[in-house]
Amino acid sequence: MTIINNALTGSLAAKAALNTTSQNVANVMTPGYTRQGTLLASVFLNKGGINPGDGVAVPSLLRFSDGYKSQQMWQAASNLGQYSTAQPYLTQLEQVMGDDTTNINAGMDIFFSALNAASVEPTSSPLRQQVITAAGAMAQRFNNLRQLLATQRQSVSQQRIAVVDQINELTRDIAVLNQKISATGATGQIPSGLADERDRKIDQLAGFVGVQVIDQPDGARNVALRGGQPLVAGSVAASMGIQPNPDGSQTLTLAFAKESFKLISGNLGGQLGGLDEFESKVLMPLTQSIADMANGLATKVNTQLAAGYTMSGAAGGPLFDFDPTSTNAMLKTSAGLVGQDLAFSSDPTLAGNSDNLLALIDLKNQPVPVASLGSSLLGDAYTQLVGKLGTDGQQNDASLTTAQTVRDQAEESWKSTSGVNSDEEAINLVQYQQMYQANMKVIAVANELFDATLAMFR
Amino acid sequence: MRIASTQYHATMESALQRASGAVEELMQQMASGQRYMLPSDDPVTNVRLSRLTREEAGLDQYRSNITALQSRLQQNESILDSMVHDMQQARELMVWAADGSNTSADVNAMASSLLALRDSLFYTTNTRDHEGRFMFSGTAVTAATIAYNGAAAPGARYSFTGNNGVQNVVVGNGITQAANVDLGGMETLLNQLDEAAATLAVPGANVNNPAVRTIVVASLDGLDTALGSVAGKIAGLGGAQKILDTLDGNHANVSLSNKQALITLGQLDYGDAAVKLNAYTSALEATQKAYGKVSALSLFDVV
Repeated sequence: MTIINNALTGSLAAKAALNTTSQNVANVMTPGYTRQGTLLASVFLNKGGINPGDGVAVPSLLRFSDGYKSQQMWQAASNLGQYSTAQPYLTQLEQVMGDDTTNINAGMDIFFSALNAASVEPTSSPLRQQVITAAGAMAQRFNNLRQLLATQRQSVSQQRIAVVDQINELTRDIAVLNQKISATGATGQIPSGLADERDRKIDQLAGFVGVQVIDQPDGARNVALRGGQPLVAGSVAASMGIQPNPDGSQTLTLAFAKESFKLISGNLGGQLGGLDEFESKVLMPLTQSIADMANGLATKVNTQLAAGYTMSGAAGGPLFDFDPTSTNAMLKTSAGLVGQDLAFSSDPTLAGNSDNLLALIDLKNQPVPVASLGSSLLGDAYTQLVGKLGTDGQQNDASLTTAQTVRDQAEESWKSTSGVNSDEEAINLVQYQQMYQANMKVIAVANELFDATLAMFR
Repeated sequence: MRIASTQYHATMESALQRASGAVEELMQQMASGQRYMLPSDDPVTNVRLSRLTREEAGLDQYRSNITALQSRLQQNESILDSMVHDMQQARELMVWAADGSNTSADVNAMASSLLALRDSLFYTTNTRDHEGRFMFSGTAVTAATIAYNGAAAPGARYSFTGNNGVQNVVVGNGITQAANVDLGGMETLLNQLDEAAATLAVPGANVNNPAVRTIVVASLDGLDTALGSVAGKIAGLGGAQKILDTLDGNHANVSLSNKQALITLGQLDYGDAAVKLNAYTSALEATQKAYGKVSALSLFDVV
């Protein structure tokens, strides 16, 4: 009877292994699926006498996973999230600011060209009018850029809200999965499907914000921010919130259990960190620099004009109005100004004098204080700003390429342990099928032996 | 290393992505003819290109100023030329008048010609531009160059109401050139001609009379001085145009070298790009073929 029993355990084990193989084959394309194997162990019940053994058992299923490789993948996801979030913003800024025919530089060229042209005939009304038109066109370019920067800040804020929503959803899901896994873990084996689901959620979460993951003895995984603030502890999830501030910035808060505290930005990682870094290191300084340039230009031109006299001999009025609070009309030309009102003369009695005009032309070569550049020439400040933006963009692009490579490599490494190889499964399929058939044959042989024994008594 | 089945697809996908990205960038470069599409492609070169473009914009403006200025100077020159012509006629008249054999009737007739020339000179001196501003008043363009006061005695009726101010035009970085000439001094000549005409118009005027002769001789001297002065101004205008020509040539040379630098730094080397494009497309084709072969291999086909 041992033969039949042994063959039975063998065929059952083969069936279990075929089951596992079929699951692996079915999930060959499933992202995040961890392949499983069947653990076989021979059974030996020591009943005395001559006994080769009592068949085979399947004590458990194997889950091919390597925690270290998962951790690497999550770290890579955070870096990738961080740099890929900033990239489209930077590219847009570069495209707009770098276009040498439509940017502020070209606008300033036109303005100073108009002043230069007016020096040929300082009393000519059309030439004077052209100065005002060129000034308006230049101001419009400042405003266009200011508007773009404001729009970008708005989308950064909106994206941050969306990211925080998704983080909250993911942490809740992870907490629920932790609870389920702990519960089943207590009764026996951790279900591989649940573990896969949780790892996928953690991977997504890591793309949104940098995380630290710590395994707990009961099978749960605790998730914390890079700074150590808890996001998920066992079956409890924290909740992230956003407070809008009057100055247009946003403050991140984290509520865990009954505690609520402010999250200090910096080194958050993931998309949240990418947004943060882009806003604080590129967008806000650039906005300030552009405002400084507009202010410097307006102040210099207006001051110089105030030192001169109009065609009618009146003291010169301002050409520009500068309004730092406006996002779409930061710089504009003074309303109602006509060509004759431009104070090109340095003598109230001499309408044809152009000394003050020459002083205006020279303003291009004078320094203005610009945030994040220091003191730089009015005509060169914008070029330097674009150069700085280009360096920032280049840096981010290089970091993004590196992050992508590291992530690809981490995924490859994870797959080399946990991914399904269909050829391997085909071999398993053949082998376990043969095992099943062999065991069936054993049963047939046992049957024949039995029949032979019975035939003796006929 | 163990390879998961999906790894082939993932590797293939990222390889295709990278190659397509590179090809796309090359196509953009080839379409625009520019080596750099964004400042981040090469921030330092971008700054150089931008500065060269600024300098080019400045040079363009200087050169267009020079052209405009030259036409203004030529206009001034032709007006001054017509004045020289008038003054020469007046001088011939005065030389004739100084001839002692002239009868008083002859002299009276000369006076009316002289008056016409005086008025012509007066109006030319007070030439206005299209916007009604006086061209030869220095920087006091709203005031007439020479004012006429009919109430005063002959010899003191004309006075200079302009100034010697200069309108400077920027024609280079820190280089200016005067765009105007003033006609200060013409009032002396006009007063002398006025006085001479009045004297000669007196019935029975006799040029042999010492008082009359003094006036005639004085106006001859005055004409010589004014001719010298205006001719000097014309020469100055000619000289200025010569300088402007040289300056324009210099600007053109600098502009040419800037443009060459702009091309060297910023323009795409099409040969190089074409070679790269070829390399990328053949790499792409090879990868696609390899993928086709590898993905067709499956043990499931044979078991």
